[in-house]
Amino acid sequence: MKKLINSFKEVIVSILPMTVLILIIAVIWAPFSPEMLVSFIGGAVMMMIGMALFLFGADISMMEVGERVGNYLVHRRSLKILIIAGFFVGMFVTIAEPDVQVLAGQVSAVSDGQINRSMLIAVVGVGVGVFLVIALLRFVFQMKLYHILLIGYIVVFALSFFTNPEMAPVAFDSGGVTTGPITVPFILSLGSGITSGVRTSKEGTDSFGIVALSSLGPVLAVMILGVIFR
Amino acid sequence: MNLFYSLFYGIQDVAWEVFLAVLPIILIFLFLNATALRLRAPIIKRIMGGFVVTYLGLVLFLQGVHVAFVPAGEYLGTALAELEYRWILIPLGFAIGFLVAFAEPAVQVMVKQVEEMTSGAIRARVMLLAISLGVALAVMTAMIRLLAGISLWWILIPGYILAFILGRFVEPEFLAMAFDNGGVATGPMCSTFILSLSVAVAAASPGRDPLLDGFGVVALIALAPILTTLVLGFFYRQKEAYRKRQCEKQARDA
Repeated sequence: MKKLINSFKEVIVSILPMTVLILIIAVIWAPFSPEMLVSFIGGAVMMMIGMALFLFGADISMMEVGERVGNYLVHRRSLKILIIAGFFVGMFVTIAEPDVQVLAGQVSAVSDGQINRSMLIAVVGVGVGVFLVIALLRFVFQMKLYHILLIGYIVVFALSFFTNPEMAPVAFDSGGVTTGPITVPFILSLGSGITSGVRTSKEGTDSFGIVALSSLGPVLAVMILGVIFR
Repeated sequence: MNLFYSLFYGIQDVAWEVFLAVLPIILIFLFLNATALRLRAPIIKRIMGGFVVTYLGLVLFLQGVHVAFVPAGEYLGTALAELEYRWILIPLGFAIGFLVAFAEPAVQVMVKQVEEMTSGAIRARVMLLAISLGVALAVMTAMIRLLAGISLWWILIPGYILAFILGRFVEPEFLAMAFDNGGVATGPMCSTFILSLSVAVAAASPGRDPLLDGFGVVALIALAPILTTLVLGFFYRQKEAYRKRQCEKQARDA
């Protein structure tokens, strides 16, 4: 119970300043109508309650499951299982993310319907799956994140010259969609679950980088689609 | 009654979307539990309870964003872009960006994880500040870009080059955290509220295409926190080096 009250306090600090700023801007430049004001404040209160419940619950659900899954994958000591599980976890989590549906609509609009929704969703899902596998293998083999990211971004920028100019901003935006509030806690703790199993010579705080790689996957995937369907 | 209606209008869509998003994780858990983990009933109960709480929380949060911040973003974006002194959007963009990062659920999770994994060496509050500053700079740059019509590439390419240069001067774990921060900063507040604000500004500005010019803001929000976190990492390394020198000096003196 004390934990829940604490998370309410944190949440008020996180959402109230934003709400007050918007109200100040509105009062000075563009006053809200009374109905809008009421639903704005009502919505902000909903957000506070929602965020408190989310943060409280994420700890004992998504993060706990992520940690346990990560631990399990490491203790099996089987690369095959790690690769297969990583790929499907990345793909399923992405396909279900609501923002991917929104992205699919945008891409279909920008490409004049050439790239249809289901194709885009499938490709982005595969992109995240592949990059989640890369992220997991990195933990096991202690590869340098710097090099992986450098190569990834060079490829992205190189491809961008071959897509139509409208596609590029959409591709970059797509990196954001796979890292929503459900995916992040899950894959972050997946990473820490895995690294706690392969902790080696170093201090072992290197469980980050997994979100970074998972958001590079869709950018590359959309760019590649853009090159094919230019 | 009217208020109730306007607050909960369309919540069934949000509820369904979030349900679909949580479902794979629950299925993965149940599958693994049935085949390998075999946890005891009370633990399973606690985890499933946690899922229910998280689910309800996220539905409420997103519904709140939809009824409060999305219409406000569209309304203010249009109103401010029509002002005579539109430059006001630049400082306002900075202020809005700074505070919006506080309200991203994934950012809150990330900074807590950072504090935990580094055993408190990097405080959650410090990391939050770095991300907020990054988002602030990103939204400000997006507004400058909308008003002045600068191509996104002139910002993104030098930005990423700078990120890889700075990346050589920080500890590897800081590099990882920095690029993670870029991913977590682009959460639901950014992709709804900030996006609707900048699309509205683009639509109200002559010669700007809302689809083309409005959208780049997410790409900027993914980039800027990387840079600010790397700068923070640079200072941490300096501080660490300074501390080491002090220690060695003390050892010599003694």
